[in-house]
Amino acid sequence: MSSRKQVKGEYIETDTGNKVSRKANLIGTQHIMLGGKTVIMADAMVRGDLTRTASAAGSSGGAPQSNTSIFIGRYCFLSRGCCLRPPGRIYKGAFTYMPLRIGDHVFVGENSVVQAATIGSHVHIAANAVVGEFAIVKDYVRILEGTVIPANMVIPSFSVVGGQPGRVIGEVPEGGHDQFEMRDMYKTVGNNIPPPASPGHLAV
Amino acid sequence: MASFAPYTYIQCPCFDLSNQTRQSDGSPSSTSQSQSDDDDEERAFDPRSPRSNYSLYPLEYLLYCVDCHQIRCPRCVSEELVTIYCPSCLFEVGSSSVKTEGNRCTRSCFQCPICVGPLAVQSLESAPEASLLSADNAAASGPTGPWALTCSYCTWSSTEVGIKFDKPQGIFAQLSKLRNDSNTGVDVSLISGDISPTKRDIGFPEPDSTKTRFSALRTFYQSQLASSSTGSSMAGSMGDYGFGSPAALTRIMSIYSGSTSKPKNKASVMREADVPSEGFRTSNLDESQAISKLRAGGYDGTVTMEQAASQVEEGAHFADELWPVASLLRTKRAKRCPACRHILSKPEAKVSNTRWRIRLVAGNHIPSVTIKPLPTPGVPTPSALAPLKPAQYLLTFKNPMFDSIKVTLATPFTTPGRFASKVTVLCPQFTVGANSDDYDLNEVLKAEDRDQRDRRREDDGSHQVEAGKVFERGRNWVSIVVEVIPASLQIQPTPSILQKDGEPEADLAPLREDEDVLEIPMFVRLEWESEPSQDQVGVAPSGKEKDAKERRELAYWSVLGIGRISRE
Repeated sequence: MSSRKQVKGEYIETDTGNKVSRKANLIGTQHIMLGGKTVIMADAMVRGDLTRTASAAGSSGGAPQSNTSIFIGRYCFLSRGCCLRPPGRIYKGAFTYMPLRIGDHVFVGENSVVQAATIGSHVHIAANAVVGEFAIVKDYVRILEGTVIPANMVIPSFSVVGGQPGRVIGEVPEGGHDQFEMRDMYKTVGNNIPPPASPGHLAV
Repeated sequence: MASFAPYTYIQCPCFDLSNQTRQSDGSPSSTSQSQSDDDDEERAFDPRSPRSNYSLYPLEYLLYCVDCHQIRCPRCVSEELVTIYCPSCLFEVGSSSVKTEGNRCTRSCFQCPICVGPLAVQSLESAPEASLLSADNAAASGPTGPWALTCSYCTWSSTEVGIKFDKPQGIFAQLSKLRNDSNTGVDVSLISGDISPTKRDIGFPEPDSTKTRFSALRTFYQSQLASSSTGSSMAGSMGDYGFGSPAALTRIMSIYSGSTSKPKNKASVMREADVPSEGFRTSNLDESQAISKLRAGGYDGTVTMEQAASQVEEGAHFADELWPVASLLRTKRAKRCPACRHILSKPEAKVSNTRWRIRLVAGNHIPSVTIKPLPTPGVPTPSALAPLKPAQYLLTFKNPMFDSIKVTLATPFTTPGRFASKVTVLCPQFTVGANSDDYDLNEVLKAEDRDQRDRRREDDGSHQVEAGKVFERGRNWVSIVVEVIPASLQIQPTPSILQKDGEPEADLAPLREDEDVLEIPMFVRLEWESEPSQDQVGVAPSGKEKDAKERRELAYWSVLGIGRISRE
């Protein structure tokens, strides 16, 4: 997160290809893991400071365990105003946060709040959605705009989820898998954005 | 006005064109004035006809059979179950256990009967105990019983309908036991005499476990049949058919012997079930309980249609009769071509595996079409189409195949429907270059370089919107210009002078839903030369014929949703 290639420019670009906006709110950066080539837009909030508290004091004690609270894979895209927040609950009598894991090629739309336990790979979360605490979202899932996924819900692969509360309302068709691909979107953001890609590259 | 995203829908050939007839709503535009070799008697496809809803699909929903060389849609493929699993616990369920246990998860996966959110097992006494435990010994023992199912979304709890569990595992079994207990309890009360009023007092929902009643009825009628067939061997009742081979035999014998009067004479009247133990239940005509409950609970105490429909057992009228709903199982399915039975898509059998063994999607065989307004420098693109003002749109065809394709487009001169907009495809015939192998990175980089160089050069020369010329061209994509003159959405009768005799009365109804969307039906014909398919190579690898390329052709209707016409 620290190596800066350029001083100017809206984005901090790291060696592993992450592009993090200077206006993004990353709290507790030492607890946030980025897999690389991840884009974090301005005003996105990532709460790395909400780390696990109870288990360290309870069981092992001295063993220095990694206290990462948010894992983000490769080619993820956090839009403006979204919020990633590790889920918390009472565990063995004390309140603790649990890590939030996000796979590869995950898009989080504007003003969406994600408090899931796990988000798989190739997941599209549209704008203004809420993914409740300890929800488990598997791979190739499309969460429509404004969906509220209740806490503890499990969403199987290839689901289209919508509604309040969220429910599976359809299946991702066989031909729709490529739409989750985020590589092209990654290229559109950065300090030296190349001239817009050929129109053929735009999503259908 | 809501934002409008341009779309392209493609028509599956399973939709029979010959059956399609235009509604006589007075549009003079249905004859196809296509530039290509479109048959004249073949009428232009109307995207607004009610039938079209069932044949138009976005490209990603379509599959492609490589043997028939044809597009296949979700409606015409045949499906086969690969795996049955619970969408909540993601456990695989065998097909045999589905037959015996039903199509719902038998673990602890339940949905809230109020809001369909997932239910979690929670201890009813967790809160005070947990704080005590944390003080001295956290890990000693977890929260203890009684347990209840609670919804984290609407905070519904199964205690509201009086359901508590002794242990947090095997909720399904406990719940069905509770349900049966309530039923047998009521059954006893039913048998003991006093029937309906006590039922509601118990506080359990309508005490008819459909299963137990059905089994009681079945045993009763089976015994009836058995006794009737033994008593009078030729019962004329319909229920006799297929039951007990001697009876069936005698029936057949009587048919062939020709004496039809014989079975009629011996027809015995079968007794119907009339005791609760036989599955008989009097309908509850005394509704005073329900009425008083409705008065007390009001509208909030009743169930919605949706809630009642999601219940496993029917008959719930009040919110306190709603039971947790076990989650319905879900499947992974393979798809086959309806014509040649070849597999079009087949997922891996394991629930957790998201890969596909076979996936023949149409997106790999037919070009994708993207639509965007042609940018004019200095003028912001309006959100809606101005009526009667020419607007230009860029259609970009991207070729997914490794062979270059020749594309021929045809559209009717005006769009079908009440508001006939004029459409002109400036370049209806062009070739799209082949898609190269994306795995060779250098190749891709070079190609992109070339793309950009090409574009720069073209930029200098500035694109011309010119008839018969491609607007922009890349390695495997081509952009062409379509000019539309949107119709005015004014609904006014044609002056009587202009009206012709034979013409039907014009439709003067107000604007219907989405009638302001400008949709262009477009006939797309693809021609390409490809390597002979692999099985043919295996059969005949002889000499020079190997180099011979196979000529292929594919044609289909598609619909381009360009935008909304503004109402002025």
